[in-house]
Amino acid sequence: MGGAVIPLSCHTIGPFFPHPFVQEGDNDLTRIAPDAPPSRRGSRIRLQGRVLREGGLPCVNAVVEAWQADAAGRFRHPADPGWQEADPEFLGWGRAVTDAEGRYEFHTLLPGGFLDRAPHVNLLVMASGLMRPVSTTLFFPGFSEANAADPVLGLLPAARRPLLVATEDGSGGFRFDILLRGPASEETPFFED
Amino acid sequence: MQRHALPARFDPLPAGTVPIVPTPGYPGTFTHTPSQPPIRRPPGRGEIAGPIALHRKLPCGEANLAEPSPGRPALGQLIHLAGQVLDEDGRPVADAVVELWQANAAGRYAHANDVRDAPLDPNFRGHGRVRTDAEGRYGFFTIRPGAYPVPGAAVWWRPPHIHFSVLGPSSLARLVTQMFFPGDPLNPLDHIFMAVPDTAARDRLLARPLPPAEVGAGWLGYRHDIVLRGRQATPPLA
Ligand SMILES: [Fe+3]
Repeated sequence: MGGAVIPLSCHTIGPFFPHPFVQEGDNDLTRIAPDAPPSRRGSRIRLQGRVLREGGLPCVNAVVEAWQADAAGRFRHPADPGWQEADPEFLGWGRAVTDAEGRYEFHTLLPGGFLDRAPHVNLLVMASGLMRPVSTTLFFPGFSEANAADPVLGLLPAARRPLLVATEDGSGGFRFDILLRGPASEETPFFED
Repeated sequence: MQRHALPARFDPLPAGTVPIVPTPGYPGTFTHTPSQPPIRRPPGRGEIAGPIALHRKLPCGEANLAEPSPGRPALGQLIHLAGQVLDEDGRPVADAVVELWQANAAGRYAHANDVRDAPLDPNFRGHGRVRTDAEGRYGFFTIRPGAYPVPGAAVWWRPPHIHFSVLGPSSLARLVTQMFFPGDPLNPLDHIFMAVPDTAARDRLLARPLPPAEVGAGWLGYRHDIVLRGRQATPPLA
């Protein structure tokens, strides 16, 4: 064990993030491995949206990584005191790469809330032109009471909170567009942890 | 689960180690960087946690980029690049997933979006993924990449560099960075390298050449340690 050391600086992923790094099924949070059966402990949902830059133009070959609790609101990770009760077949993590229209898609289970947190999915976005990866959080419509009490959503000015609530896509899924840069009334709010 | 020690503390990154955004000279950052400052969020359970045993989701073991078929090495200077993934206390991070990608010796990526007319090298893979061992060690056999001009930019050449993506035990430890080669004349002209204001922080992005006598014949050796956010790991849970 050496003395304290300093984390490396971050940089953009650039335009050439390898396609082989994102295999079919990597955007499925319900499987812990490509050949593992999907978890069925919860309601299956689809999340889809676009990653956009200034002017609403699409970001191509951007990488979106999703991370969330299982359907009962637990993480299979020592940060969660209840990790041993977490769904062992649910990974809670997935990765998607955007297509020419900036579209991404995830398959997952509706996350449960925990402590004072409303059900949510953390999203990390990396892209060419983005020197620091950005973090945001997707909340769900239909949980207005839990959303109103969520301490992270509450960090935002009231007018910006709806920007973090996904909309129903009409086919049992949810839609969440990420605008990296735009007018404050439209730009996606991002967090720094 | 027992191998995953959990960092208990995540300090803010020291001033000068984070790239300036938007980045002078890099036009894309002026259309992609959020205009609103990020909202400080005290890390909660979900931010500190992260996927466990991610190597099952993302199969690891592609460490040989430079000789994917035996006896047919890639063009360019063969290098062995190795190092340790560490936390801020210098503790090794086991079971991290380390992804690496780079241009070939002619400065061309094996990627559909790279439309430059530099030649592709059928014997060079261009990307790899490994899992760190119990001492946090990773290693790749590859080549020193070529420089390449940035498409659409006036006169800006990227110096030889290798992209790294590292997934550690916590979401807060997620790192995407680039490694550079010491002494390259293009380094001080690179808007991406120079976006990091602190000189010492830039020096940490440089691979360290190993004395050839320590490496053996056939290729050059470089060492590059990767420090992730997080410190004061708690004892591993049984
Ligand atoms: Fe590059």
